[in-house]
Amino acid sequence: MRSLISFFVFLFAAAVSALSTTGNRLLVILDDVVEKANYSKFLADLESRGFQLSFETPKSESLALFHLGERSYDHIIFFPTKTKGLGPKLTPNLLVDFLNAKGNLLVTLSSGVPTPNSLVSLLAELDIQLPAERTGLVVDHFNYDASSAADLHDVLLLPPPGPIRPDVKDFFAAGAPKDSLLAFPRGVGAVLGPGELLTPILRAPRTAYSYNPKEQAETVDELFAAGEQLALVSAFQARNSARLTLVGSAEMLQDKWFDAEVSQPSSGAGKKAAAAGKTFNREFAKRLSGWTFNEIGVLRVNWIEHHLDEPGAANQSNPAIYRIKKDVKYTISLSEHAWTAWTPFTLPSASDALQLEFSMLSPFHRLPLQPDPALSTDDAAAYSAAFRLPDQHGIFNFRVSYKRPLLSNVEEKNTVSVRHMAHDEWPRSYVISGAWPWIAGIGVTVAGWLAFCALWMFSAPVPAPGGAAGAARAETKKTQ
Amino acid sequence: MRFAQSFTPALLLLAAGVAQAASAWGFDEGSVSVVGRKSGEAVKEKLNARAPLSKPVSLGSTDTLKLSLTAKDNGKAKRPHQAFLLLQEQESGLEAPFPLTVKENGKAVAQISHKDLPVQLLAATKPLKASVVLASFGSAQGLDAPVFELKIETDPNVPPPAYEKPLRYGKKPEIHHIFRPDPKSPPKVVSLFFTLAVVGTLPALLIGWFTLGGNLNHLSKAIGAAPLSHATFFGSILAMEFVFIMYYTSWTLFQTLPVIAAVAVATVLSGTKALGEVQSRRLAGER
Repeated sequence: MRSLISFFVFLFAAAVSALSTTGNRLLVILDDVVEKANYSKFLADLESRGFQLSFETPKSESLALFHLGERSYDHIIFFPTKTKGLGPKLTPNLLVDFLNAKGNLLVTLSSGVPTPNSLVSLLAELDIQLPAERTGLVVDHFNYDASSAADLHDVLLLPPPGPIRPDVKDFFAAGAPKDSLLAFPRGVGAVLGPGELLTPILRAPRTAYSYNPKEQAETVDELFAAGEQLALVSAFQARNSARLTLVGSAEMLQDKWFDAEVSQPSSGAGKKAAAAGKTFNREFAKRLSGWTFNEIGVLRVNWIEHHLDEPGAANQSNPAIYRIKKDVKYTISLSEHAWTAWTPFTLPSASDALQLEFSMLSPFHRLPLQPDPALSTDDAAAYSAAFRLPDQHGIFNFRVSYKRPLLSNVEEKNTVSVRHMAHDEWPRSYVISGAWPWIAGIGVTVAGWLAFCALWMFSAPVPAPGGAAGAARAETKKTQ
Repeated sequence: MRFAQSFTPALLLLAAGVAQAASAWGFDEGSVSVVGRKSGEAVKEKLNARAPLSKPVSLGSTDTLKLSLTAKDNGKAKRPHQAFLLLQEQESGLEAPFPLTVKENGKAVAQISHKDLPVQLLAATKPLKASVVLASFGSAQGLDAPVFELKIETDPNVPPPAYEKPLRYGKKPEIHHIFRPDPKSPPKVVSLFFTLAVVGTLPALLIGWFTLGGNLNHLSKAIGAAPLSHATFFGSILAMEFVFIMYYTSWTLFQTLPVIAAVAVATVLSGTKALGEVQSRRLAGER
């Protein structure tokens, strides 16, 4: 009976851990709880992936991000709210604390609703700039949805975004049908700072620009940003791997844009067959929320092992001390979470590398780790590197610092001592040819000493040639 | 990709020319001029939306580039909402927009000098690609046409603008530790020669001693007089050398020291007797 209960407990635990790697308590901040009907498909998708949704308004009394110093929620979604600030429960300070406590945020904006001060400050803290006056509208007169915004051109149509660099994993466009389009209706564009923690996921096309509909209705003279500098959807991943995603258009996640029929403007005779079809928004929203809420792109270190890689050496794992100039082998096992399960981690592209550093203050070695199929399993991939320890003694670290855009950070440090050669580990002097004369010198001295001792003790006086002379010499010796 | 990007607008224009019925943006009286601070007007070129200028326009560090045009919607002068001059760095594809100041009658101007350009464009090695984008709300089709190439001339006396690439997470260069070189020995022939020379001194010494009259004739006499002492004394000297050899090959210091002590005691005890016998021979005049 008990085993049955524990089996169910285990099953439940497995089911819970199968969704997000950090937890399933999701807080949805809305102006009015009635508004959630607009996002019903998106929220139902989230619920079907195992998230427990709680809905709150910023003014709610019961709202608290932390309880007794622990997070009350694992993730938060902000839908546009009309209030100027978000109140004392959602100050930028609390939101930064939430990020520091490894909570994830999905922030959505809308050009029709001024962004609350609290979020503007939070984003400014992360080096994400929003248009001044908190009202910007992104338009593109070349890539708009001809069926819904033929005149206003404020529904942008874009292809699903590929990876920002060839060596970054393609999370958002992989497997998208050809010619599929994303609708980005009435959104706000942001400008990202130069920091390495920020990643633009969706950039505006080169002819798009952001303007203030209230003041720049006639013509654009002062430009906030235009073209690819304008990030429509951007991601921030903190050093503790907490994630924040900024979606410029909340409408993008609404039911009416999920699988909506859109068509590109027919641009002259040359492109008469303008692309038309259903939007990719639903799948994109799933991937975007999945990334933000730690369902994809999460790396886990399963184990790390290092040992002496010398023939005949004792096969001890993870010794605390090594000797200089010895061969060692280091192996690390990594898994990547893909929606519901841990999978073996593979490098996004051949041009990327998982690198091992062997460092004391600065790295002495920085070597690529190669896949080691012998130690890999169905849910973990092992990577190993074999190398010779440097000829410098001291306290060293085996360090794997794998930080890539859109992947959670891996930072592993294993400290070992590297001792110098003991006096009896050097080659013997007789194998060094340069030492032979000196060894021979010692040998000759020893033999000469023994011969001298024998002669001194056992030598008889030589009879003098003249006999008397010898006796006389003996006499003089005696008298002295 | 970039080829396609630059090619598409040209194609669009061609298409626009064919399908006159579709309302489309264009411009007239387009010109670009570079005005030097000292020399006044320097270069002025007419712009054509269908064909970019064949020669790049160069912009010196004190010059000002002036672009002026009249925007037209289907041949009628009109003010577009978007009138940009886009400068693109050709290698990275980085593009900087410069909005034109447009009047009600469609007349648009833009002035650009070095200080308006972002540092990445200033540091460009290839000419910048300049395109004019004219577009507005409604159904009129926008214009996105490459018009000229802009060459940035930097002043050789002024240090080039410093541009530091922002930090990006990615692969780092590999490092392989460079080991100190192993200690070297001289050629074996040289070592062997000197080894033989050193070893050769021993026979030379012995021969020298024996030619001078050295001998072991008193060995039997000495052994006869003090057999145990002489054997032990000479044996202990041999043993001491043997201990040193063992220390050199395998023993540790603390294995060696007690054996040395034992041998030394034997040397001292037997040595008094043995050397006393040698003295007695000396006193007897036999040495």
